[in-house]
Amino acid sequence: MVNLAHLIPVFPFAAFVVNILFGRRVKKFSAIVSISASTISLCLSIYTLVCFLKGQGSYTLFKWLIFGGTSLNIGVIVDPLTCMMLVVVTIIGTLIQIYSIGYMKDDARFSRFFAYMSLFMGSMLGLLLADNFVMLYIFWEGVGLCSYLLISFWFEKPSAARAGMKAFITTRIGDTGLLIGIFILIFSAHTVYFSELGNLNGASPLFTAAAILIFCGAVGKSAQFPLHVWLPDAMEGPTPVSALIHAATMVAAGVYLVARCFIFFSSHGQALICVAYVGGITAFFAATIATVNNDIKRVLAYSTISQLGFMMMGLGVGGYSAGTFHLMTHAFFKALLFLCAGSVIHSIHTQDIQKMGGVFRKMKITGLTFVIASLAISGIPPFAGFWSKDEILSEIMRNGHPFLFVLAAVTSLLTAFYMFRLIFLVLFGKSRSEIHPHESPKVMTVPLSILAVFAIFIGLVGSPFMNNAFQNFIYLGQTHESESLKPDYAVMGFSTLLAVLGIGIAYLLYILNKNILPQRVRQHFSPLYNLVYNKYYVDEIYDFLFIRPTMRLAKLAFKFDLGVIDGTVNGVAKLTVIFSKIAAWIDRYIVDGAVNMTAKIVGIFSLVLRRTQTGYIQTYLLIAFFGLVIIIFVKLIIGG
Amino acid sequence: MMNGLIQLLSSHGISHDFIIKASFYFIAALTLVFALLVVLSRHIFHAAVYLAVVLIGIAGVYLYLDAEFLAVVQVLIYVGAIVTLFIFTVMLTADTDAGTFGGTLRRISAGALVSLAIFFILVRVINMVTIWKTAVAGASVNLSQLGKSLMTQYALPFEVISLISLAAMIGAIVIGKAEKR
Amino acid sequence: MIPESHFLMLGAALFSIGVFGVFTRRNAIGILMSIELILNAANINLITFSKFSASPDGLGQIFALFVIAIAAASAVVGLCLVISIYRNSKTILVNKINLMKW
Repeated sequence: MVNLAHLIPVFPFAAFVVNILFGRRVKKFSAIVSISASTISLCLSIYTLVCFLKGQGSYTLFKWLIFGGTSLNIGVIVDPLTCMMLVVVTIIGTLIQIYSIGYMKDDARFSRFFAYMSLFMGSMLGLLLADNFVMLYIFWEGVGLCSYLLISFWFEKPSAARAGMKAFITTRIGDTGLLIGIFILIFSAHTVYFSELGNLNGASPLFTAAAILIFCGAVGKSAQFPLHVWLPDAMEGPTPVSALIHAATMVAAGVYLVARCFIFFSSHGQALICVAYVGGITAFFAATIATVNNDIKRVLAYSTISQLGFMMMGLGVGGYSAGTFHLMTHAFFKALLFLCAGSVIHSIHTQDIQKMGGVFRKMKITGLTFVIASLAISGIPPFAGFWSKDEILSEIMRNGHPFLFVLAAVTSLLTAFYMFRLIFLVLFGKSRSEIHPHESPKVMTVPLSILAVFAIFIGLVGSPFMNNAFQNFIYLGQTHESESLKPDYAVMGFSTLLAVLGIGIAYLLYILNKNILPQRVRQHFSPLYNLVYNKYYVDEIYDFLFIRPTMRLAKLAFKFDLGVIDGTVNGVAKLTVIFSKIAAWIDRYIVDGAVNMTAKIVGIFSLVLRRTQTGYIQTYLLIAFFGLVIIIFVKLIIGG
Repeated sequence: MMNGLIQLLSSHGISHDFIIKASFYFIAALTLVFALLVVLSRHIFHAAVYLAVVLIGIAGVYLYLDAEFLAVVQVLIYVGAIVTLFIFTVMLTADTDAGTFGGTLRRISAGALVSLAIFFILVRVINMVTIWKTAVAGASVNLSQLGKSLMTQYALPFEVISLISLAAMIGAIVIGKAEKR
Repeated sequence: MIPESHFLMLGAALFSIGVFGVFTRRNAIGILMSIELILNAANINLITFSKFSASPDGLGQIFALFVIAIAAASAVVGLCLVISIYRNSKTILVNKINLMKW
């Protein structure tokens, strides 16, 4: 079979070029361009998957750079992880772009939106196919750029523009770490290829540092603590963007990076532990914020951070298949959640869940899919999230990290709680303000339904019912780590119990007591509540620690400029004026006098010389040649 | 034709070498005489005709240098095109012989002096360099060789030259076009 | 055989005659003709060197071809200028064209 994997990102890039150049002409047609490009990529991804299953592997395309002793080949990696991610990204990307037709219908920059979406798809697919760090880094920045462009897509809103910058700068901090990590790898190990990472198992502290720095990049991209602050603000972008980039795919790139370098991480234990703890803390921390936030998209954003933390935790404790499995299932149900939220927002034009309620009666499909997705993320069997989350929990249990297990368990509980808080507040009860929900058009509900099917059933591929097909697949062509595939029924029961408990608490608080208990909770725990409600003041701390000092420094520099430099300049200017007055006097009477005299002398001479200026060009030429002849004669006489 | 003529003459007991030498010096002398006429003739139209003779003479000199192709080109381009152009221009500009050759005697003598000085310098230089006295005529370059190197090794200069020709053509049209009144 | 220096001397003579013409001709067309003489003198030299060089690769002939092409172009432009000047000032005598003289 022919290798076509390298063509996968080409079509979205082509669609980007077409849309960005001819977007004004083709208008609504641009959606078709982008979607067909994604669809072709989807077909090619499935083809690549089939090829892989028939035994085809990674391949090199061409030699690109030679630096020092290392040469850099541009190649394509085809392994289980990439195949899985390719298919997931293209499926979700295509569905979300179809959904966007409806969501962005009236936007002035419709074609621009699809151009950016295609650029993102191309970069993301390129990132997945990269077989070395340099290529990965290029596409890594590419998706970062698209994220920036799409967050600040409605740049008329100052908050959106600011959110875009915040996202870009915050992730840049992580990216710098990644870049330094890559440099360390190049200079200490002379390699940039993922395939050679497995050989770097020497216990060099440099390698551990490299691993942690690479993880820094993942922290930035996947919005892990302490660089998580950009993701909630990124919700200023259009909802399909939040669904595609900030839930399903791009933020998962960080997790993907850790999974891609998993061999490297696992041979340097400290780095792996670091991953696990950062993930665990993030998961818990974000989940608590999600329980009190009142913005539907921000709740989902914190939920995303929390779930990404979950994946990191899964990878960090050594559960390679657990982390990647959750990555896949999460992509489906989180995309679905965002699209449902988008559908609701599209219908009632508010994001404040305190103003919603009773939407379910008018929006049956959206409501139903919303509930399915929430069940999936909460971990109710047999929905997708149950299987993957359960695997992570049992991995943590098995590898003996009691602290992380408690964190994970509490997070599971919180997840179920905040998701159903959202469900009960948005979909059920009475509406708390003047809203007139109506079902979204077919072009939006059909992708919802398809994703809902995935959200229900995709988990089964990793369940004991299908002989752990996913886990077996993800380990294809790799030395099998000792990861237990036996179902751990105790953990399963426990996690289901936690989910049900969370849902129950939410039901108690928000359906039965009609919001009375939260008031009381607020009174009793008001300091704690305020702390969580204000997102642990992380933004404020950053503001205090980094942004204000920077601003103050800038102001100080400005004052220094104003006082010292400008003062100096002005002083110099005054001195110059005084000097120039003296100089003017000298000029007028001495210099000018001299000049005038010179002119008079020249005038006298020129009266003589002007006779040679006949104005006949031939005379000039004759004189010139005469001079030449004299020069040559002199040369011949002297030089012999 | 030339070879036939040489054979005819050599059959009458005149040596091959002598024929070649004699004919060369004759052609050279003729060329120089007509060149002088070009610069000295009072009538500019006559000068154009003499120029044609000079150019044909130079084409003949090329034959002695084994440059047949260039001789042909010389005749075609110079005599066929450039001299014709000169004649046209002479006809288009009315005052054909008003003070065509002239100026003060002082200027002519100065010009002659400088020109003669240049000539003597050149002859001196030619005689100074001894390498030429021992130089032997190399193998002649045949036309296909010339064409090949023009199309391969010197393709870029060739294209540049064609561009220059184009530019000259456009420039000539722009300059020569009658202004609208 | 004719020695190389004789060809060169022919070129030198032709060049000097051309220079003399440039100095003395009053008619602009005459000056252009003299320039053609100078260029032809240069061509004779080029072809001579080509003929007598140790490696006869025809470079001199190619040069001469280029010179011919340039000469043709310059003659065309020059004559055009002459016509243009004539149209404006009704003369082509260079001593009467003194627009540049102050």
